[in-house]
Amino acid sequence: MMNYTLIKPGMAPEDIVKTVRGLNKVMFTSTGMRDAGQSDYKNRLRIRDLRGFGPHYNEMGLFSSECHGGARWHVGIMNRRETPFEEVDILRKEMPNVLLQTLIRETNLWGYRPYPKNVNEYVISKVDIDVWRCFSFLNDIRNMRTAAEIIMKRGRMFQPAISFTQADWTTNDYYLSVVNNIVDLCGGTDSIILCIKDMAGVGSPKRIHNLIDHIKQAYPDLVIQYHRHATDGLALPALLAAAQAGANILDVEEDSLTRFYGQAPLLSAAAYLEESGINVHLNKPKAEAANQEARNWIQHYEWAESPFKGFDYNVTQHRMPGGAFPSSFEQAQKGGFLHLMPAILKVMSLYNRIVKYFDVTPGSQITWVTCSSVVNMYSKERGVAGVKHIINLLTKFVEEHNQNFDAMTDAEQDELLHLFRNAPGDFKNLILGGYGKLPQGWPDEWVYRSAFGDEWQEKLKSRKELSPLESVQEDDLNQLRNKLTDELGRTPSEEEFILYLMHPKDTLTLIKFREEFGDAPLVLPTNVWHNGLKAPGDKVEFEYSGVPYSIERVSIGSEHEGVVHVVMKVNNQTRVFRVETPRAVKSTIRMAQGAKQVGSPINGTVWRIGNPDRGTLQVGDIVHKGEEIANLEAMKMENAILAPFNGQVKDIAVKINDMVKEGQLLVELEEAKGTLH
Amino acid sequence: MANSEIKKVLVANRSVPAVRVIQTCQDRKIPTTAVYSTPDRLAAHVFMANSAVHIGDAPPIESYLNKERIIQAAFETGANAVHPGWGFLAENSSFAKMVKDAGLIWIGPEPEVIDKMGDKIQSKNEAIAANVPVIPGINSPDSPDEIRRWLEEEDVSYPIMIKASAGGGGKGMVRVQKDDELDNAFAQAKSEAKKSFGDDVVLVEKYIEHGRHIEVQIVADHHGKILHLHERECTLQRRNQKVIEEAPSPSLSPEAREDICSTAVRLMKAINYTSAGTVEFLYDSDTDKFYFLEVNTRLQVEHGITEIITGLDIVSMMLDIAEGEALQYNQEDIKSNRWALEVRINAEDPKTFSPSFGEISRLHMNLIPGIRVSQGAFEGSSIPPYYDSLIMLLMTSGPDRENAIMKMDSTLCRNLRVEGVKTLAPLLLSIIRHPNFINGNFSTKFIETHMDELVSTFNEEDYESEALKIAKYVAEISALGTPKWI
Repeated sequence: MMNYTLIKPGMAPEDIVKTVRGLNKVMFTSTGMRDAGQSDYKNRLRIRDLRGFGPHYNEMGLFSSECHGGARWHVGIMNRRETPFEEVDILRKEMPNVLLQTLIRETNLWGYRPYPKNVNEYVISKVDIDVWRCFSFLNDIRNMRTAAEIIMKRGRMFQPAISFTQADWTTNDYYLSVVNNIVDLCGGTDSIILCIKDMAGVGSPKRIHNLIDHIKQAYPDLVIQYHRHATDGLALPALLAAAQAGANILDVEEDSLTRFYGQAPLLSAAAYLEESGINVHLNKPKAEAANQEARNWIQHYEWAESPFKGFDYNVTQHRMPGGAFPSSFEQAQKGGFLHLMPAILKVMSLYNRIVKYFDVTPGSQITWVTCSSVVNMYSKERGVAGVKHIINLLTKFVEEHNQNFDAMTDAEQDELLHLFRNAPGDFKNLILGGYGKLPQGWPDEWVYRSAFGDEWQEKLKSRKELSPLESVQEDDLNQLRNKLTDELGRTPSEEEFILYLMHPKDTLTLIKFREEFGDAPLVLPTNVWHNGLKAPGDKVEFEYSGVPYSIERVSIGSEHEGVVHVVMKVNNQTRVFRVETPRAVKSTIRMAQGAKQVGSPINGTVWRIGNPDRGTLQVGDIVHKGEEIANLEAMKMENAILAPFNGQVKDIAVKINDMVKEGQLLVELEEAKGTLH
Repeated sequence: MANSEIKKVLVANRSVPAVRVIQTCQDRKIPTTAVYSTPDRLAAHVFMANSAVHIGDAPPIESYLNKERIIQAAFETGANAVHPGWGFLAENSSFAKMVKDAGLIWIGPEPEVIDKMGDKIQSKNEAIAANVPVIPGINSPDSPDEIRRWLEEEDVSYPIMIKASAGGGGKGMVRVQKDDELDNAFAQAKSEAKKSFGDDVVLVEKYIEHGRHIEVQIVADHHGKILHLHERECTLQRRNQKVIEEAPSPSLSPEAREDICSTAVRLMKAINYTSAGTVEFLYDSDTDKFYFLEVNTRLQVEHGITEIITGLDIVSMMLDIAEGEALQYNQEDIKSNRWALEVRINAEDPKTFSPSFGEISRLHMNLIPGIRVSQGAFEGSSIPPYYDSLIMLLMTSGPDRENAIMKMDSTLCRNLRVEGVKTLAPLLLSIIRHPNFINGNFSTKFIETHMDELVSTFNEEDYESEALKIAKYVAEISALGTPKWI
């Protein structure tokens, strides 16, 4: 039996490059564990299901499994309630032979804002990933320096990506200049793989062939991987064109996962390439087994699919990336403006000729928020006519007058000068250089006047020419770690801290969720994860920590004062769970925070406030450090509460005979007014 | 004393001690009366007894310390004897006297003896009179300054211990490490003494740093026979309350053992002790000396391990003695032939010792060979905040110490499950696994000095709890529907 494993984790990048160069076959990266789910299932595909691919991938001969990064990171924290660290741990066990690949934004990594250099360094050095695909939505290669240095120093594969779109200004020479910068940054072509990232799926087969050919002529040894979404319906011919022009690795996904906005189907691609005379490196029986594996669970994700179905050739105009498609439609649906989507896509296609960058995170979000809010504003103020009006105005400006501002009438100019006044802060930050240089230079002056009004000249002066790696101020990591420790009330793990660095608020929610519900996200089948158990007698069975478990629904009581009692059998033992509904009355207990609030060290009863010498303490009293200010009793033991410093009583939060919880606020002190005697 | 038959026993207690006394009564087919406070209406001991009487509200002073009401309950239910268990009124001589004056049988030592030995100052004097060594100390100081004078005159250095004269069970005991803590500690000890025992007189003693706590179980009848049932070691304490006890003591040589037991008998003989009681000593392993601490004029929590190693039922012997019967054993009949270990399962946070009240939503244990369980609460019981946190005693035994520890390890590690309240079980397991414990090398300060290390070895993996968290998620989604965030 042929061994398809040519590349394994732990191999030096130079050796991986050599192996791929010498292969004379096309290899595949499966995006089944990341971009496939991101593009067509809002990133909701859970590791509990995806891990089933592992044993097949392990023998399939893939170049890599893209299983990490992009928005999967944040959606994992927010929605799937599983962490990328747990996923990597699981996948290392399930498929030790497979390179794990992530996708990072050059300075934003897996978040949405440019992080300071020290945060980038810290995070990149702690995450166990083999292949790091790194892109800049501005193709500002300066921004990749930190990532490149640390990844290459760690002996992991750095895969710089050029963001691709098809526009009049994205010429071969433009891309070649980007590739030159990359080769300079990485010290040659021997230890990197270049990715061409066609994130919207807009590259026509001819254009892709032509571009790869052009790059290959300049850098014959450069290993090229082509990443392409299927949105325009032309993915398969484009993949063939790329392979024919010399691309070594192609991104595909399991056929059974394909919908419209992800990658091309793996088995179809393999067959089509072979028929066209291109050799592929693939263990087909294993690929077929992986394809079947997805059929075990993909039907449980219908709820996660985009409401907007079908290929969309108009993507070549509006250029919304595949990964952003379902989430944008989800937002439109939730916001009640799904009917405005065609108009928004049209405005996007005009907008991205005014402000030129690549529609991929975070740029695609900036485009989306900016354009959808413009359309929404016109729709709210003037209805359908307003929407038509703004599209006509922008069409006239961009297409008829070729963006010649002076050629517009005074009234039209005035309207354009208000177009971006309410644009999101990220848009304003973008045109002021907060993310780096725009690939085709800064937008015209009127855009600044439109965004900033009277302040536009002042703002323009503050526009940065440096990379955010140079301009964003460093974070104090110790201080952030202490803050997280305070929030959790315990020392956070390294993984928790990294999650917190990227997404602080959502990470806290995740940690609290997991403290309450344990490994539910990792072990429950998706239908139960999403819907619970529907009827009495329904049960879910799973294996956990090496032993079988069964949870069976017995009955659910009716709501009383915001509480429902749910009876479940857990391994045949009856258990009653108290579930609070949104109507539950939350008793608010104030917990002591900071040095001035004195909290209870134990659970107990307050039996004295003050001390026998001075009697009961009152608000406004002055207390001395070490003086007893209250006394608690628990199980017949007394616990004196002493004043932590000289101070004045600002608030007494409890009464005699109150039962208090550990940490509950007892007395709040403040600096004493006047002198102490 | 005239023979008097016990017809029905009122057990003036709750939880573990009440259950324990009722068990022996059941063995002997003696009916029982339980008493209960308002929050204990559905408590374990209430349902084991043949009758149960509500005696007052939650605060002990209104219920389990309400002497008149308890005696009245005995008459209401036809009980002619009262067993106080341990704690509450067990060492309250005025209650013993009231019981006797009411014409009821008091299952315990004579009130005069309780009175004498219950007062730490007086008991120390009795010990001195019986030629039993005692720790340097000062009786009933009125002020911190009097303590300071004593320290200077007797050339005693810190640390010292302030104790309630009427105390026991660790309540009203405050250790003072240095002079600037003395004022607060003195006030606290007096206040706790007042609250727990109704008397704020305290005494002060030199605190022996590496002391080991060894006690001798005594039973004595009304016919002049007095026996010891060997010793127990109760060195492992936290906040001066014992958490692990064993019998025999791993610290003593055969000579020291003989010496300490006969000293105990000598003292108890000198004071004409009757019923079951214990003489406690502090054994200084550095100097191989022991000092008298106190006499516990009652059944003790840890009596069970003595029962295991001797095969005797001490509660049953107390009943016999109270009926005026002569002990049917001689000292040479009392043979110890195994090793027994006891741990106290308290409802407390094992890291902070903060009490953990609430409902025991699950209490499950697999009984394995070599284990004895003394339970005071059952699944579904509430642990009210007003009383002691003890919910269960676990005892294991074996031919030697190693086997007894092995059984305890299995019990704590795999065979006990308590949900709804936190218990000391993780700490207890860490202690019995600690090499110093296994080697018998520990003092009363062991837990406090090794606390961080012990906490760090808590076995955090609890898959059953983890599975319940998963079930909780299923319950919540099943009841509330698909969450918005998903």
